[in-house]
Amino acid sequence: MDILNLLLQGVSVSILPANLLSCIIGVLIGTLVGVLPGIDTVSAIALLLPFSYGMDSTAALIMFAGIYYGSKYGGSTTSILLNVPGEAASVVTCLDGYPMGQKGRAGAALAISAIGSFIAGTIGLIGLTLLAPPLAQAALAFGPPEYFSLSLVGLILLSKLTGTSTLKSALMAVIGIMLSTIGLDSLSGISRFTFGIDELDRGFDLSIIAMGLFGIGEILTAMTHADAKPDIPSVKFRDLYPTKEEWQRSITPMFRGGIVGFLVGLLPGPAATISSFISYGLEKRYSKHPEEFGHGAIEGVAGPEAANNSAISATMIPLLSLGLPFCGATAILLSGFMIHGITPGPSLITERPELFWGLIASMYIGNVLLLIINLPLIGVFVQLLKTPLNFLMPLVAVVTLTGAYSINNSMFDLIWVIFFGILGFLLQRAGFEPSPLIIGLVLGPELERGLTQGLIICNGNIWTFITRPLAATILSLGFIVILYNFVTWFTKFNNKRKELDANRS
Amino acid sequence: MIEKIISLLFLIGSLTYLYWAQEFTFGTLGSPKSGFLPNLAGVTALLLSLLLIFRQFRLKKTKNKDAVDWTKFLFILIGFAFYLMILTIVGYFAATFIFLFYLFKVADTSGWRVPLAISFCGSAAFHLLFTYYLKVALP
Repeated sequence: MDILNLLLQGVSVSILPANLLSCIIGVLIGTLVGVLPGIDTVSAIALLLPFSYGMDSTAALIMFAGIYYGSKYGGSTTSILLNVPGEAASVVTCLDGYPMGQKGRAGAALAISAIGSFIAGTIGLIGLTLLAPPLAQAALAFGPPEYFSLSLVGLILLSKLTGTSTLKSALMAVIGIMLSTIGLDSLSGISRFTFGIDELDRGFDLSIIAMGLFGIGEILTAMTHADAKPDIPSVKFRDLYPTKEEWQRSITPMFRGGIVGFLVGLLPGPAATISSFISYGLEKRYSKHPEEFGHGAIEGVAGPEAANNSAISATMIPLLSLGLPFCGATAILLSGFMIHGITPGPSLITERPELFWGLIASMYIGNVLLLIINLPLIGVFVQLLKTPLNFLMPLVAVVTLTGAYSINNSMFDLIWVIFFGILGFLLQRAGFEPSPLIIGLVLGPELERGLTQGLIICNGNIWTFITRPLAATILSLGFIVILYNFVTWFTKFNNKRKELDANRS
Repeated sequence: MIEKIISLLFLIGSLTYLYWAQEFTFGTLGSPKSGFLPNLAGVTALLLSLLLIFRQFRLKKTKNKDAVDWTKFLFILIGFAFYLMILTIVGYFAATFIFLFYLFKVADTSGWRVPLAISFCGSAAFHLLFTYYLKVALP
């Protein structure tokens, strides 16, 4: 009952004109970001960070959250119409969404995707409302060993769950940690790896690296690839009605996707993408028409689209209650919090309840807004897809560079944003996912603080970490993941060796 | 090939980082100092880079990635460098106008009038937005 009252108070905050307007702007930008394949959620939020300086902190955070969950709504549009995912989480939607479009059912696929996103988004939000406050309460009892364990296990799981190779993801995360050590050491006050350059004393700004890796990196990728003009079908409002059969076949996958997405969203890593793949697999397994999958099965659109939206709400739980971002987008959201002098974590709910509950309530409102905006405006979004990238990308490049400069009014930052942009482009070419680097950069200071303070508390006895029940539970989870990885690798290696032996004999 | 080069660069980077990390006191387990995490992270990155290089040379698998126009890439980089150089000399508006127009041409936009007009309007709009709305002191 308490939660309901607090949520209602949050609603009163989120319906204030400035906050409501921010919510509308956020979800609109988010949808555009999702629709336009050249722009990523993380880079869009990073890009807009400087624009929020003059805004009220609650309104700014409501806008950023709107961009985050709004982008997942828009992501399916290009998957269904062009077979080009607007977002990584919508890759799996191409498998059945595009064939549906080819059969003249693009409108129905878009409608089911939007409704599924709404239902699952609401499931995720209910979970967020119920879980975040008790978790934040429990986190008040966390000491440095617990925070260290959480950060460490978060990084281990992230390496395991990121789409690319475990080794590459782990390396990227460690490089992120290494970058986080540049600047003044918060514990000893010593300048590390600054080589006498004063600008490096404050360390690398998270938004500068994100703008470079994701923003400039994406621009370079889009501008250096041959741009084939896609054939975009037109979709009218009357085409959006699904048939009765399509409805019946979609409703269970929507709810199942919502639950799967929420559970996966609690784990570190690109939860939206992973949950959409898991949901697709589940739907194919439980469907009465598995043969239709890959040829335009509506369940293959409803389930994954629901899952990725629900996962988004769940990824906000560790950020809001523990202050730990477990994916690239929430890491940038954390940066948004920091810019406005707000530290998310256990104390946020008690110190800034109006912000915490206002943000959650705005997500409910945004979810409804997205459904209202998405369906009637689908024709407009389709027209937007016709925007030529060779005009769009140079403009985005200038906004990114100007935005990067405006953070600290520093030419030094501009050099770094371009450097990380080139790095991001090359990393993408080499098959490295840059997200773990950002997470490593964010979790690095937490990891260092937790480890050093924890060791001092435990008088250097590392085993004491294991005697603390919470830290031990979290660490055992990490250990199980490492063990599982090793066993899987060893089994594969052994099978390969046996195969080679058999071939030789 | 690019994968191997990047992995090799990470290996060199990790070694260099580890070398510089020696400047800071490691401390002990009971009293870790400012060099504690850098040393641990450096060693981990070094091991991971070595493992990655070892795996890449063993697998010898080449993935067919979509083609990149490297000439365009080079021209964009030249554009970025030029923008950085002229930004403080000619000021934000003029530098952005030149940079935008240059990028439009690198991105193969046809004609002169439309790119010129968009470059002018774009740089003016960004100048107004950042200077007057966001109160940023642009160069």
